[in-house]
Amino acid sequence: MDRTGLKEQFERILAEHGPALSRLAASYTNTLSDRDDLLQETAFAIWQALPRFRGECSERTFAFRIAHNRAISHLTRNSAHKTDPLEEVEVGDSTPGPELYYSQRQTAEKLRKAVRALPLAYRQVIMLTLEGLGYREISSVLGISESNVGARLTRARQLLQEALEKRK
Amino acid sequence: MSADIELELWRQQWHEEDSIPADLRRTVERQSRRMKIGLAGDTVVTVVMGGGTTTWALLSRDSGIALVALATWLFLAIAWACALTVNWGLWRPVTVDAASFVDLSIGRCRAALKAVWLAGILFVAEIAFGLSWAYLHSAIQTGIRKWLLFGSLRVDIVWACTAAFFGGLVWYRSRKRRELIRLLNLRDEIVLNVDKDTQQEPNVPPEWMFGIRRLKRLRPKKRIT
Repeated sequence: MDRTGLKEQFERILAEHGPALSRLAASYTNTLSDRDDLLQETAFAIWQALPRFRGECSERTFAFRIAHNRAISHLTRNSAHKTDPLEEVEVGDSTPGPELYYSQRQTAEKLRKAVRALPLAYRQVIMLTLEGLGYREISSVLGISESNVGARLTRARQLLQEALEKRK
Repeated sequence: MSADIELELWRQQWHEEDSIPADLRRTVERQSRRMKIGLAGDTVVTVVMGGGTTTWALLSRDSGIALVALATWLFLAIAWACALTVNWGLWRPVTVDAASFVDLSIGRCRAALKAVWLAGILFVAEIAFGLSWAYLHSAIQTGIRKWLLFGSLRVDIVWACTAAFFGGLVWYRSRKRRELIRLLNLRDEIVLNVDKDTQQEPNVPPEWMFGIRRLKRLRPKKRIT
């Protein structure tokens, strides 16, 4: 594929999966600047990997796999990483109006905090599930078996339920 | 609740959590565009007025015109200093969340209200200088009071423009005051939501409390300026 085609494909991937990648980055980082850095690293890595992408999996799986790998590298680099659910990380999107936003915000924030407080193995699986990925895609992104995905997801949901109960 | 419904609910919430009200985002983006246009307009005015009067002074070699050019540059420098000071830190939100967008809008409203006063003062100073200069450099023999009060059509136009300018300024100020009150109420809603939420958490971080206190201090008690 020529450079123009790659550029178009890259822009399409970012346009389609940008918000999801941003949420994913937010789940691995504690501050807004860290999230932006990770998002930038992910975009750069996608651009670098794009010429080698032969369509063996969907673009979404491809983008999430790279994002996941970059996030793990990020966590490894920042060995002092600690999940502080009270630190705020927000990402942008748009909704109809402020009234709806404020009524939903509290519940959504509780969920986000609970997800971010989960152990990494469970956080990854639940996060990708919430992003709408199936077992096969998750197993492809994380490099684990589908049965392992199922087991992790069950445990992640239990932990999430408990955490949300505590926050009620 | 069945497992799948629960998961679907979480999924919806997961995609909602990162949103900023669309109208708030649009307002801030519109304001940013206007600020950029305003900056471009100020640059054009500086080049035209400053360059024009300087060229006029150089061509005429008249000390009176040189004084006009000097005063024009002085007024332009004051206007730029005021504009840059008032708008400092108001070009973009600190973080990409609703609270920062509201804070930015509040900051811009306060800046606009300050700018109203500064524009009024600067306008009076410019008119005072302009009329004084015109009176001293004219061949008119009548007293200044008579000259100022309907002495000529040009002076009448100046007064008409002054009245229109201050009328517009009063209208703009009242509009911005209303907008500021609305934004402060909106900000209070966010703080109250956060307050209610954090009351249930045993580890309330002191930053929130400082933030709330700071916001309460920012809330005007009697006058909104």
